[in-house]
Amino acid sequence: MKEKLTPALDQPCMEALQLAGRIIIENGGETYRAEETIAHMGMALGLTEVESFAVPSGLFISYRRPDGVLETSVKRVHRQETNLTRVDWVNRISRMLSAGELDLMQALSRLRGIQRLPGPVSSVWRLPAALVCAGGFSLLFGGGWKEVLCSGLIAALVQLAGNLFSRFRMHWYAASIAGGFLTELLPHLAVLLVPEISMAATVAGALMPLVPGLAMTNAVQDTLRGDMVSGMSHGTQALLTACCIAGGALLSAALLGFLQRRMIL
Amino acid sequence: MNISFWQAALGSLGGSVGFALLAHAPLRSLLPGGCIAVLSFLIYWFLASLGISESLSVFAGSLAGALAGHLVSRRMKMISTIFLVSAIVPVVPGLGLYRTMSLLAQGLTAEGADQGIRAMITIAMISLGLGAGSFIDQRSHLHRNRKDPEPPGSRPA
Repeated sequence: MKEKLTPALDQPCMEALQLAGRIIIENGGETYRAEETIAHMGMALGLTEVESFAVPSGLFISYRRPDGVLETSVKRVHRQETNLTRVDWVNRISRMLSAGELDLMQALSRLRGIQRLPGPVSSVWRLPAALVCAGGFSLLFGGGWKEVLCSGLIAALVQLAGNLFSRFRMHWYAASIAGGFLTELLPHLAVLLVPEISMAATVAGALMPLVPGLAMTNAVQDTLRGDMVSGMSHGTQALLTACCIAGGALLSAALLGFLQRRMIL
Repeated sequence: MNISFWQAALGSLGGSVGFALLAHAPLRSLLPGGCIAVLSFLIYWFLASLGISESLSVFAGSLAGALAGHLVSRRMKMISTIFLVSAIVPVVPGLGLYRTMSLLAQGLTAEGADQGIRAMITIAMISLGLGAGSFIDQRSHLHRNRKDPEPPGSRPA
């Protein structure tokens, strides 16, 4: 006799666990956090033998239901954008579920809501955020008010270009190359208007919002928990992003050097 | 370090708050995250001003930032990533990376490689500080939650 197979996604338990893990990985959380959250939520839901294996591009979940049936699912995860508010919300829901403040259906409904939750700042407000970020770093690199203002404005323009790239669904490395290119190019144009600004403080300040700080942190955190695959993956992502930014900046510097040799600039 | 105390404090606060906003960090984490960034950078700045090596200063700054980040994340019941990113971002060697690129673009390969290696050592020190902070936090958390084991046979059958 053939055993009837039940699609795993029909089960709200599996959907809740999958959704929680997927939101964490898609929005820039560490893989160990996704695994721990799934384990805590599974235990809170009365499941046994809860096992999960998360990597930055996928999620495997397995558990035994109270009636003894073993459920397993595999989910491919595509990294979206960085939104730490969503990761924090999943963490909060997991805590509330463990404390008995939410039941399964309430948790599932909230998790579905989190998927569509926008970030705390809109794409327009990201421009002043980039300005503050780059301005602050320019100050740290010894810049005065002119460098602070200049690098802030350049970072805001680079952010604007980044917003356009994401609207056209361009890949992150194209955005990183373009960001590096503009960050090196625009200060050279600004020098034509304000000749006395320090190029180093301006460019370095404007580059800082592009730095892959989150990937670097995740690489260290995952490696420390013994998850070498995810640690290496996040480390490679950080390195590739840095290489793309540097590549864009070098391309821009080479172009400027060529134009200067031709006495165009 | 040729910047004043106020430049260091304001710069690290502004830089980290802006960075956290770009990563869509929750709004209630911005001020504590900014304070952790200021602490992390001021420790680095103070030690570097005393003439202590750049690597050791960066390690101390990121270690203090990581410990403070884990502590605050437990208190606020929020994910530690938000505070850890804020803690390390101000000590990232942005100027060193810029100089590396600038020298390489001018064809000064040896000088560029020298700057690049220095920047890489600083990044390695940040990772080490962050890792050490997380390790200390994990151990202390386990220690606090550990119950003394009962001797065998102490419970009646």
